[in-house]
Amino acid sequence: MLRLLLLAALAAGPTLATAQVWPSKPLRLVAPYAAGGPIDISARLLAAKLQDSLGQPVVVENRPGAGGNIGVDLIAKGPADGYSLVMSAIATLAINPSLYPSLPYDPLKDLRHVTLLVQVPNVLIVTNDLPAKNVKELIALAKQRPGKLDFGSGSNGSTGHLAGEMFKMMTGTYMVHIPYKGSAPALADMMAGRIHLMFDNLASALPSIRSEKVRALATTTLKRSSFLPELPTLDEAGLKGFDMTTWWGVSVAAKTPQPVVDRLSAEILKAMDAPDFKDRLRNMGSEAPAIRTPDQFASFVASELKTYTELVKRSGAKAD
Amino acid sequence: MKIKSQQDWWAGWMFVAFGVFFILFALGTPEFIDRIVGTKLIGGYQMGSSVRMGPAYFPVVLGGMLAALGLIVLLDSIVEEGPEVATFHFRPLIFIAISSLAFAYLLKPLGLVLASIVLIFISAYGGHEFKWKEVAIMSVVLAVFSVLVFVKGLALPFPVCPDFIEVCPIR
Amino acid sequence: MEGIFGNLAIGFIEVFKLQPVTMWGMTLQHVPFNILMCLIGCLLGTLIGVLPGIGPVATIAMLLPVTFNLSPIAALIMLAGIYYGAQYGGSTTAILVNIPGESSSVVTCLDGYQMARQGRAGPALATAAIGSFFAGCVSTLVVAMFAPPLAEVALKFGPAEYFSLMVLGLVAAVVLAHGSIIKAIAMVILGLLLGLVGTDVNSGVLRFAFGISELADGIGFVTVAMGMFGICEIIANLEQKEHREIFTSSVGKLMPSKEDWKRMWKPILRGTFLGSALGILPGGGALLASFGAYTLEKKVSKYSHEFGKGAIEGVAAPESANNAGAQTSFIPLLTLGIPSNAVMALMIGAMMIQGIAPGPQVMTERPQLFWGMIASMWVGNLMLVILNLPMIGMWIKLLTVPYRYLYPSILLFMAIGVFSISNQPFDCFLMACFGLLGYVCVKLGCEPAPMILGFILGPLMEENLRRAMLLSRGDPWVFISPSKPISMGFLIAAVALLAIIAAPALRKKREEVFVEET
Repeated sequence: MLRLLLLAALAAGPTLATAQVWPSKPLRLVAPYAAGGPIDISARLLAAKLQDSLGQPVVVENRPGAGGNIGVDLIAKGPADGYSLVMSAIATLAINPSLYPSLPYDPLKDLRHVTLLVQVPNVLIVTNDLPAKNVKELIALAKQRPGKLDFGSGSNGSTGHLAGEMFKMMTGTYMVHIPYKGSAPALADMMAGRIHLMFDNLASALPSIRSEKVRALATTTLKRSSFLPELPTLDEAGLKGFDMTTWWGVSVAAKTPQPVVDRLSAEILKAMDAPDFKDRLRNMGSEAPAIRTPDQFASFVASELKTYTELVKRSGAKAD
Repeated sequence: MKIKSQQDWWAGWMFVAFGVFFILFALGTPEFIDRIVGTKLIGGYQMGSSVRMGPAYFPVVLGGMLAALGLIVLLDSIVEEGPEVATFHFRPLIFIAISSLAFAYLLKPLGLVLASIVLIFISAYGGHEFKWKEVAIMSVVLAVFSVLVFVKGLALPFPVCPDFIEVCPIR
Repeated sequence: MEGIFGNLAIGFIEVFKLQPVTMWGMTLQHVPFNILMCLIGCLLGTLIGVLPGIGPVATIAMLLPVTFNLSPIAALIMLAGIYYGAQYGGSTTAILVNIPGESSSVVTCLDGYQMARQGRAGPALATAAIGSFFAGCVSTLVVAMFAPPLAEVALKFGPAEYFSLMVLGLVAAVVLAHGSIIKAIAMVILGLLLGLVGTDVNSGVLRFAFGISELADGIGFVTVAMGMFGICEIIANLEQKEHREIFTSSVGKLMPSKEDWKRMWKPILRGTFLGSALGILPGGGALLASFGAYTLEKKVSKYSHEFGKGAIEGVAAPESANNAGAQTSFIPLLTLGIPSNAVMALMIGAMMIQGIAPGPQVMTERPQLFWGMIASMWVGNLMLVILNLPMIGMWIKLLTVPYRYLYPSILLFMAIGVFSISNQPFDCFLMACFGLLGYVCVKLGCEPAPMILGFILGPLMEENLRRAMLLSRGDPWVFISPSKPISMGFLIAAVALLAIIAAPALRKKREEVFVEET
């Protein structure tokens, strides 16, 4: 009899564990990229902070592949017990669904979006030799030389690429897209004048802008960036409604219990409000997002998904 | 036709096979085969032009070069003397391969300690001598060492205990 | 010149600075903290360099949170120490067990491992350490004195120049082989093709992945290297019928002989020069340097017949080249703020988190940081050579352990290392496949080294070729146009090298024809 009870208790063990106070065992934060990129770095920063406040180890696990899809799918299809988190980003939630022919997960139905961590604007930069000192002159130049200007990006389907496509569509110009593996080689070619312009994210472009190796013309957000307050936005420069940022945050599986999601959200927000963490994120070019709650995040994801689905379709960008 | 160099003969076929493989998967199956089979057997990628190369261009060109070189090697094997292919020893090959596969697929369910022990046992079995006590001691030592260095020291996210143990004492 | 000395003085003062340190509740005054960080970095770097599969990128990424609590200079010194420590450690595994720790140690495997099998592991390891140290010192000097102008040169390399350089590199890869040239070329092409698996940069198309999502980012270098070099070697060793020990038990001297010294100093010089020059090129510079140096040595040495069988030049030259390349690859980072490889990208991340914007202004706004880093490179190299030379005795002892204990351990570490790449079993499966492929190739008289070089260079070459064509709007003559002298120069050199390689073979054929006719 006792043995039977013991067996029953063992079998019920896993379910009992989740009924206990969460968290009662280590958490897993999946960064669906290779170690070292900005998302990976912010994941490690966050993990260190959460570890302190939750009292349980938070282990960052790199699961690179397919633009981040593999890692996100892992969490979407995994146990919804609140111990598996994933760094979800604009690519995996809003762009890849239309960029890739088939995605193994549904960004709205399979995932619960907890907190938006980082929002980084993109900056329109041009090479110093280009005779365009502001957006108007650039548009005029592009219209004068259709197909002669090259714009670089970090990869096919990246925000830099799509920003360029959006720009082309809104201004009615034709520029040639040159994809690179990451923004660093693109920046190098831009400094040398081999490509003419690029929509790079602020963090990676800022050093080059400050050292005047490239010229910044505008930012891609509706509001001006506090890092470069004298830089107009594309919206101000005539492209009404142009608003693109690179963003990423934390998500969990859809069926994760609400109290766990609330607690997670509260803890992450607490970490984000801590001055040293806020500073470090700022150093990556991020302004503290106005979107705080999981519901706000969820509706943000939905609207971004809609925007980019259309944009990708109209621009014809494809990954296979 | 006598094969003068066995090594070159098989090497040549290997190169031709790889070359054809890459060309086939880069271009896809030709129309008439699809019609016979009913559906598109293998999809391909765009060739593009030599001016604006598509994703299939490089693989097809290289695949062609590889197959051509394979043919030259085949020719060589008939014309010039060359060494024989030494016998394949399947035992070490199989055991080493299985041990690393076992480790990889058992790591999550069994944890680092048990998976390491499995790997050591299987790979040791593929060697020349296998003494149970020796291997047992070696596997335990190495498992402990690995946990200390990789999990504790380098903080790799490997599970140490098997899945069925709910809370692991080591983390 | 005084400017340089003044700056270096600033640097050294920064490195040797004594600071109060608070740890575990105690405050110690006068701790040379930066030196300590350098030591920790070098130790850690050597350790992960020796462990197959685990590289500096993953380690640095994991240590980033730790660096937040350090001052920027201490953090960067430690991370840099990990980076070049890993170069030293990677040579150790290449020589001892034929597993390249870094892509630039592939070439060291060729002769270094053979030397180890002949009981000359000691001189091989010593040569690697000495060559690396010398190269590290010289290239650090190069960084200190010529960083800005060299950065400008690096900027001149566009896609066309990179493509031509890689063509030259691939031709050089053929020289690496000591067997049939045709088969070597075929292996290079096979490597090129395998490198194309994955997402195509220019079009976004997923190639040769067969629906396996793990292949979407291509096959990793570590996986291929572990498979073709590591697994293949173990299987080959195990199949020997006689139970012969793999490493001769007469282990021999620890230090190089006088003859060795005489033979190694010129390759070290040439390797250093080549490495310093190629290391400044972002993306692949250091790798090209190491096997460019090997090729150069093989062509100019009077012992060229020994290459591939344990020639000491084959260790001295590539080791110097890859360490020189490692130091000079900091130049684009420190002067332009552009990373040359994944490790540099992490350094940028570390700097940004500390609030430092990388770029040319670092030199003027934060001279202690800039010159402190440079000074730390010397100190680091010194520490590494002091660490590594005595360890040679320990490594040699390790080799006397019977092989039946060694190989399971090696296999375990390889499996752990490969698994940790993306925490999935698939990479181990791939490693086993490449082990099988390597085994088959060796049986058929085809060499894995040219293949792996093709594998690394292939995708880069295609990417640059297509990008150059895109930028030139389809003009194929862009590579040899007079407006691009560098590109033209490399292509001419490639053709020349090809001729030099082919000439002896052709001459042999002509002699055979002559002999038959008489």
